[in-house]
Amino acid sequence: MPHSKQTHSLCTPEEHTLSRRQLLGASTAAGVVGLGGLGGLVNPLIASDMSAKEKQVLFIWIDGGMSQLESWDPKPNTQFGGPFRSIPTSIPGIQVSELMPKTSQIMHKLAVDRGVSTFDNSHSAGVPRINRGDPKDRGVVYPYFGSAVANLMGPGDSGLPPYVWVKPGSGGFKYQDAGFLGPKYGALAIGEGKPPPNILLPSNIDQQQNLERNALRKFANKQYANARAKTFREAQDFVFDTAQVLMDRRTLFDTPDASDIERYGDTPLGRDMLIGRKMIEAGVRFVKVNSYGWDTHGDNFNAHASLMPRFDQAFTAVVEDLDQRGMLDHVLVIAMSEFGRTPRINGHIGRDHWPEAWSIAMTGTGIRRGAIIGETNDEGTWVTSEPHDIGHFFHTWFNALGIDSEHTEYINDGQPLPIADEECSPIQELLA
Amino acid sequence: MKTFHTIIALLLSISAHQLVGQDLHQIIDQQIEQASTEAFAEQATDSEFLRRIYLDLIGQIPTTEEALQFLLDPTKDKRSQLIDQLLLDPRYARRMTEFFNVMLMERRGEDPNWQTFLSTSFAANMPWDQMVRHMVSPDTNNKTTRGSGYFLTKRLEKYGQNPTDFPGLARDLGRMFLGVDLACAQCHDHLFIDDYKQADFQGLFAFINNTYIRQDTDYPAIGMKPIKVKVEFNSVFEEGTFSTGPKLPGLDEISVPEFVTGEEFAVPPNNDTKAPGIPKFNPLDYLAKQLPNPSNDSFNLNAVNRIWFMLMGRGIVHPLDLHHSDNPPSHPELLTVLGVQFAEHNYDIKWLIRQIVLSKTYQRTSAITPPVERAKRRDYRVFSEKPMSAEQLMWSMLTATGQLSHISPKAAVPESGAEQPLEGQVDNTLEAIRTDFLAAYANPPREPETEFAPSVRGALFVLNGPRVLSWLPPKAGNLADLLQRQKNNYADTLFLSILSRNPTPEEAQHFNAYISSHVDKTKAIEQAIWALLASNEFAINH
Repeated sequence: MPHSKQTHSLCTPEEHTLSRRQLLGASTAAGVVGLGGLGGLVNPLIASDMSAKEKQVLFIWIDGGMSQLESWDPKPNTQFGGPFRSIPTSIPGIQVSELMPKTSQIMHKLAVDRGVSTFDNSHSAGVPRINRGDPKDRGVVYPYFGSAVANLMGPGDSGLPPYVWVKPGSGGFKYQDAGFLGPKYGALAIGEGKPPPNILLPSNIDQQQNLERNALRKFANKQYANARAKTFREAQDFVFDTAQVLMDRRTLFDTPDASDIERYGDTPLGRDMLIGRKMIEAGVRFVKVNSYGWDTHGDNFNAHASLMPRFDQAFTAVVEDLDQRGMLDHVLVIAMSEFGRTPRINGHIGRDHWPEAWSIAMTGTGIRRGAIIGETNDEGTWVTSEPHDIGHFFHTWFNALGIDSEHTEYINDGQPLPIADEECSPIQELLA
Repeated sequence: MKTFHTIIALLLSISAHQLVGQDLHQIIDQQIEQASTEAFAEQATDSEFLRRIYLDLIGQIPTTEEALQFLLDPTKDKRSQLIDQLLLDPRYARRMTEFFNVMLMERRGEDPNWQTFLSTSFAANMPWDQMVRHMVSPDTNNKTTRGSGYFLTKRLEKYGQNPTDFPGLARDLGRMFLGVDLACAQCHDHLFIDDYKQADFQGLFAFINNTYIRQDTDYPAIGMKPIKVKVEFNSVFEEGTFSTGPKLPGLDEISVPEFVTGEEFAVPPNNDTKAPGIPKFNPLDYLAKQLPNPSNDSFNLNAVNRIWFMLMGRGIVHPLDLHHSDNPPSHPELLTVLGVQFAEHNYDIKWLIRQIVLSKTYQRTSAITPPVERAKRRDYRVFSEKPMSAEQLMWSMLTATGQLSHISPKAAVPESGAEQPLEGQVDNTLEAIRTDFLAAYANPPREPETEFAPSVRGALFVLNGPRVLSWLPPKAGNLADLLQRQKNNYADTLFLSILSRNPTPEEAQHFNAYISSHVDKTKAIEQAIWALLASNEFAINH
């Protein structure tokens, strides 16, 4: 039986982490604090020891599949090129779709790989597969990139959860991304720009009263702590402290300034990108900003004519803001989908799923700005340069963040697991 | 598995002659104490015992009156009297229903028929083997028990984009009833656990891979398709194709009979009534005979280990579903005796619980003093702190604040007696309250609740959520009302009602001074109640 890259229905993450914890008898505070998915708020003492702690990630996830032909890799006037023209960019000789006029002006600040070639053309399997870096099947569920970074780099010293996911729809504590790392490396999801439940101090308790009641609580905890092991009570203290940090930082969830909204666009993606920027500014290690609705099997061109300007505006605004604040030096920015779209135009004037040849854009820390690499053939159907799988990008991004991806492993239930596909390697042309 | 069973048999012969004539609780203490040369912790104080036994047996802390009554009772054997009283309390069945629902279903969902099965079974003290028989092979004619089918049907429901999880169901039969997690033996013999063979997993799988959820009933009911062939499987590591019929680990394979096509059914499907056919060969009938069976050691050991865990906070085999020779029981002989005696006592759950809680081992303090500083959970030299379930927290907060008598029976209307309606209207039905507590404290579906895992979500719920905060202000007969009527010694009532103990002099002084120093006494009382509800001592079963 070929050792294919299939997903097992069993061998789910929790039994591995639990059994590892328990069999090895490791019961540090970090080990037992299950934060209901509040992304790996590991013991701050451990976190502060971590190197590269100041680096952060803004991960823009364009769910459903952005068409590379209507964005980064246009093929106007060809068989599959579609109706849109291409326009020049701030890099001489490089053109992008006319649907991204603002982005075209900051092209020199970005790196784009047009030679992406991955392996899964279904959403259900493709989304997790790409998000996990498509590692070899070792019978475990790998973490999404956000959970991986939360685990490998820790929360930093912002006091905020390390993995925040800004998205349309429901918010809450989303543990599923964490895979075998366990629920504590899941994401704190901000749905519709709304904060987590119960983050606001009720109107009939003022700040003074809040201080007083917590002082009483801590006093009451002293007597119990006198004669009890640390494990339980430290974990318990820790979740209350973190809750307080979220309450103190609740302005992160305030309605953004009108001028900001105008620059980012008064759209779900524009508003979420603004929250994403605020989360990055507040020191969150990994922020995922999510845009839905890109699966344009029908009416691809009208859909992209409507979707692309929203992306163009929000993406450009956030890159410009981070650049102006000097934050691109330590923030890695990535914009990508689970695959590209077919060059062939289907009977519904749509484009289908096309993992064989598509594009990923990035900028920020560790990335060589202005590097536009990779090539597809004239019709955009195949990659003609060295094809890059998602594993190559995981290596590249880990290295951009200062993590030696070829010599760092997770240890899961005694099983060493590479953090990125060991048959891939960093893409040097993209690294600064 | 073979080696493992031989060891058990060996141990069994040792214990048989040593332990004659003793009650099980004495054997427990003897076994635990002879396993360590180190010091053991003192017995728990009355308050500590009181809170623990209430939480463990009826799922909530005692009321102020119940606490006072016990603490002031001079009777020498008042602890065993209380144990017997609580085992007869109607809240015992509620607690067991909540505990076993969480353990067996792992927060997959709720079903009223399943609840009825559990609550009536525990109220009648149905033996464990019978309960399991109902779960693996439900009697659809018995309206009281047939909700037991939910154990199987819920696991056959699709969730998300996943296909029907037959392997997951096979795995859970092993986890829940045999104490073995064969998940990683689905595709090959387990890599790290020599005892777990792929054939064991596939044998379990063959019991259930032809089941389906019946659509013709208004209660959870399991159907079975006719079985014509054995389960065939490949190993990702070994060459060749293997096959097995239904087979429990360590037992003989059940042969799959051959039928002429058209003769598979004892009762053929009825197209008019939509009633599915009943095949002549139903492996679940065999499972119901072989699994809950006194001769099935793994079944017995798993059962006692899980009940021991419920009371002691750590399984003798731990994790509960990883019983194998490289993860041996901490006290193998004790586990064996528990299993044998449980089977001999016809799987009488109340009897087993009573024996465990009567032991000195259960009644030790959880406070750590220098002689037991280095004690490990697996030694049972000190009582292990335990997490509180969402349900235990709910009932305890309702009890502590006196809100229990203010729950609206049904209609989702705001309470008229509330003097200070808080942050909008709060639905005060028990269902609404339960929903809130589960959202704040329960684990996500399919994750066992065996570890202490406090969450930021739970902290925010207590800090700012309208649910608990709305229970603090005074209303007729509740805790704040009671405290408001007192002149200066607030602390005694406060601590007794919430922490089931008297305050230390330092605590009494601090809390009395806090309340007395405030002009707005009502608010100060609310603050003090909140502080103890949010304290670590309240959130942990110790």
